[in-house]
Amino acid sequence: MEKKAHEKEVTRRGFLKMMGTLGLVGATATALAGCGSKESAGGGGWLPQQYQAAGTWPTQVRGRVPLDPFSPSLSRDDKKCILCGQCLEVCQRVQSVFGYYELPVKNDVICVNCGQCSLWCPTAAITERDETQKVFDALQDPDKIVIVQTAPATRVALGEEFGLPPGSWVEGQQVAALKALGFDKVFDTNFTADLTIMEEGMELIARATGKKDPNKYPLPQFTSCSPGWVKFCEYYYPDLIPHLSTAKSPQQMFGALAKTYFAEKNNVDPKNIVSVSIMPCTAKKFEASRPEFNDAQTYWGLDEEIRDVDVVLTTRELARMIKAKGIDLPSLPEEKYDSLMGEGSGAGLIFGATGGVMEAAARTAYFVISGGQSAPILFNLTPVRGLEGVKEAELDIPGFGTLRVAVIHGLGNARPILEAVRRGESPYHFIEFMCCPGGCISGGGQPRTSLPPSDAVRQARLDMLYKKDDSYELRESHENKEVLELYKSFLKEPLSPLAYDLLHTEYTGRGSYLKALPLEKLS
Amino acid sequence: MEAQSSKWVFRMTPIRFLLLILAGVAAALAVYRLVVGLGATTNLNDHWPWGLWIGFDVLTGVALAGGGYSVALIAHILHIEKFNVIARSAMLTSLLGYLLVMIGLFLDIGQWFNFWRPFVSWGYHSVLFEVFWCVSLYTTVQVLEFGEIGTEKVAKSWHRLFAKAMPFLLIVGVLLPTLHQSSLGALYLTQVGKLHPLWWSPYIGLFFLMSSFFVGPAMVTVETSLAGRAWKHWVDVKIIRSLQRIGVTVMLMYLILKIWDLFARDAMQYVFAGGLESTMFLIEMGLGVIIPIIIFFIPWGKTRAGLITAGALVALGVIINRMNVVIVGMIGYSGAGYIPSAIEILVTVGLVAGGALAYCFICDNFRILDHQEEQHKVAQ
Amino acid sequence: MAYVKFDTPGKGVLVDLTKCVGCGSCSLACKLWNDLGHDDEVPDQGPDAKLSDKNWTAVKFFALEKDNEPVYRFVKNQCLHCQHPACESACFSRAFQRTENGPVVYYPHLCVGCRYCMLACPFDVPKFQWDKSFPLVTKCQMCSSRVDKGEAPACVGVCPTNVMTYGDRDELLAMARKTIESDDKYIKHIYGEHEAGGTNWLYISDIPFEKLGFRTDVTTRPIQEYSHEFLKYTPPVIVAWGGLLSAMYVYTKRRKEVAGKDKKDVPM
Repeated sequence: MEKKAHEKEVTRRGFLKMMGTLGLVGATATALAGCGSKESAGGGGWLPQQYQAAGTWPTQVRGRVPLDPFSPSLSRDDKKCILCGQCLEVCQRVQSVFGYYELPVKNDVICVNCGQCSLWCPTAAITERDETQKVFDALQDPDKIVIVQTAPATRVALGEEFGLPPGSWVEGQQVAALKALGFDKVFDTNFTADLTIMEEGMELIARATGKKDPNKYPLPQFTSCSPGWVKFCEYYYPDLIPHLSTAKSPQQMFGALAKTYFAEKNNVDPKNIVSVSIMPCTAKKFEASRPEFNDAQTYWGLDEEIRDVDVVLTTRELARMIKAKGIDLPSLPEEKYDSLMGEGSGAGLIFGATGGVMEAAARTAYFVISGGQSAPILFNLTPVRGLEGVKEAELDIPGFGTLRVAVIHGLGNARPILEAVRRGESPYHFIEFMCCPGGCISGGGQPRTSLPPSDAVRQARLDMLYKKDDSYELRESHENKEVLELYKSFLKEPLSPLAYDLLHTEYTGRGSYLKALPLEKLS
Repeated sequence: MEAQSSKWVFRMTPIRFLLLILAGVAAALAVYRLVVGLGATTNLNDHWPWGLWIGFDVLTGVALAGGGYSVALIAHILHIEKFNVIARSAMLTSLLGYLLVMIGLFLDIGQWFNFWRPFVSWGYHSVLFEVFWCVSLYTTVQVLEFGEIGTEKVAKSWHRLFAKAMPFLLIVGVLLPTLHQSSLGALYLTQVGKLHPLWWSPYIGLFFLMSSFFVGPAMVTVETSLAGRAWKHWVDVKIIRSLQRIGVTVMLMYLILKIWDLFARDAMQYVFAGGLESTMFLIEMGLGVIIPIIIFFIPWGKTRAGLITAGALVALGVIINRMNVVIVGMIGYSGAGYIPSAIEILVTVGLVAGGALAYCFICDNFRILDHQEEQHKVAQ
Repeated sequence: MAYVKFDTPGKGVLVDLTKCVGCGSCSLACKLWNDLGHDDEVPDQGPDAKLSDKNWTAVKFFALEKDNEPVYRFVKNQCLHCQHPACESACFSRAFQRTENGPVVYYPHLCVGCRYCMLACPFDVPKFQWDKSFPLVTKCQMCSSRVDKGEAPACVGVCPTNVMTYGDRDELLAMARKTIESDDKYIKHIYGEHEAGGTNWLYISDIPFEKLGFRTDVTTRPIQEYSHEFLKYTPPVIVAWGGLLSAMYVYTKRRKEVAGKDKKDVPM
């Protein structure tokens, strides 16, 4: 027995010795074989299949979009890019940005910051410029009052980052998560969406009824709340800028009010306010960085620059922050927005959907023009709903006549309409443009879905917004009590001088940054 | 001197001890460099692919070791016998110099285990190919030449064979340096438009050859004075002066050719243009060529001190010339500066120290300095 | 003067710098195809873009003025694949060889790592793996394995704006000439037509080349010729100088023997 064990031990050692020797021999042989390669250098990697083509064959999908390394919206990690060409596909064929200007380039990397490329990118090589650390830092700083606004569209998509099905309603959980992260005040962009309707609707009425100089403020009026669309217009249709509503986007209205109205009401130093917004959008980062958006600074007469909106986070970034803190969003108890700037109507909510701004504006415009009545049919303005690229509607408004409107989403769809406006052949009074297909619910900052993003997910998010709108008591912007209070105690009335200072803006012609290709040359 | 005895001796002095430490440090650093690579140990980069090791250890080393072939030519090919007295030490210096060059070169190549490749993969279009073959053959030849000295002490039965082979070895041993001394300069022909016009010339090969020839007598002067002090073995001033006469003659030709070349290429404008390049060029030519020539023609040039000074200046001038070509002349193009790393400097210093130690050891044990019977006297 | 003489100039690439939007696809394609990895220290795109051992091609950004208006330009750099490569003539172990199809390729197993190629290249293309223990030289191979199969180099195929055209060098040259002659915006110079004796990559531009980082003072004579001019004297020198030395040796020795019979000196 003992002898047997002894033998066994020796055998094991012998076996290990043998394996060790074999390993050494193998390693040496491998090393020698590696050294002995007679090949020329290079060619040891791979390229996507579409590039394995004979020299002169034009491959259909190739390359990628140019990105400004200093873009405030987007960043690209070359270590993840596989040159699949999908960013270019969406930029050129859906958004009609890339390829629509003449070469050589001038002095700009042409980009409307929409971030659709980041949704189409299969490896997330293109993604938003991450600014979560800035917010974490601000939340750590005891001297800062960090207030946050959440866009209408994030509450029907954020849940997807936590395993919920598309379109899940997580408004209350989002508020709870933000409070758990340490934000001092959690407000709602729906509030300023309603305010936008008040300003933009009144502007429309003024234009439509001839109260404004038609040369300076022509019809049709274009919506201006989608920053990607605004930049697109500034690039390719700078001559049509007068059509753009002068009303700021809800985000920027909120930013300006946060450091004026909120600061005054709560008696805090605007310099200590950090204004954060949670957006479904990468272009909002660019919008917040536009130099003119420092109206609170002007209001207070400060020398030191303070931005109306300090940090813009995408839905994906917020999800990242929540995950970093180990918060399980779906299991959070629902909480409510803080008051003062936290109330929003169903009209404000559907800003997140294509056609929503139009529908919201129609509700209020009808009310104002008709002298105080709401047409029930307007609560379901079905012609402007849905994922059709170009939608039209006509509304008979007592005391006015027929208001003709159009709704466009996806910049590629905008071009034929804009060309018609340019030719003076547009029959519309009011046109809603949304940069991203489906509107903000499918914005460039939303959770990634299928590749390319599918209409099914878009529809699910849209459906939830309309469903919630339907369930709201408050469905008209002009009935938002906090908005009314704002006018009463601060702004006086829509289009007042102070409202102009804080809630309206001017646009920058960007026609000199590129030479647009004429459309007929493109096909 | 116990050179003839079969005992091996090595006297330890404080200076030799210091040299030993320097050489030891360099050896350790050299091994470190071979293991971790060039980027981690040198200040070389893509702007400065060649630095101190190529500039000093190789280009300058080969030039300074040029004493071997110029003296061999004078003493043994032309049989001007009065120079025999210094021939052995000159050729020994040269041998050691070339061995150090080979070590320096070996340290400087990235794929050092592949150093033999040009022997089988003939890149015969390359000037470096000529340099490589000539330097390796010449080093071999010099080792064989040393065999004639070495077999006086060890393996004595081979001595006759080595002595017989000497004529052939001597002729090849002059032919090869002629080729590679010039081709070392010709390496820089490809640097047209990169190397500053004060140094780039279609005749840069000829300039390298000439300067390597005239630095021979200068180095022999310096070296015999050092050896004279160490072993109390003084070579006659007349011999040194007549050797230097040959060097000065070549230097005069070199100077004239250089001036003609500068005019011919319209590069004279850069000589007094000021700035780093023109200053370094003036130092190189003034200190290393013009002043030594002047010294030679004034009375001081007939004294040992004057000759040694002139010789030291010439050697210094050649060092500056080679460093100017490799570094100063390239700064303008590269746009970036280059300062050798501590490791580069320590290895270079250690190589020189090791060479000096080897020289001392060989002089202690072989008949280098006093091989002429008539001069034989016991040192110490 | 190449090791093997080729009848045709081979394949080349015409780069029209006016068409580049700076997306960097070409540079990334190079990294993907050649498995190069990314260099955190040395960018391959942007204002500080440089060639390195990991960046075989780099797209350098320039903010310039043209007709008093600010413009952006992007310049793709890589090996120009000389017709008579300096690196080939510099390499003493034949690690660089021009192939019949045009690319100048590098064989790592032949390389000693002496870096003379880096010195010799008039465009400073070869780069060294400084951070490796056993470093090699690196440079663009013009995807010679693809070219041999009739495919364009990786960078050419991925360009979304057709900056690069791949084809026979002489056809590209004709195309380039036609383009710059028919369009006023172009500088009337085809970079690479004559530089260093002609390169297989050709560039046309609407901005003077010297403003775009191109070396415009480069000799039009092949660098190979400078070496050849020297090396061609080697065989005659060996014969003549060797013969002369032998003759002198014999002559002076004989004279000495005749002159002084009492001398019993042996050489050295």
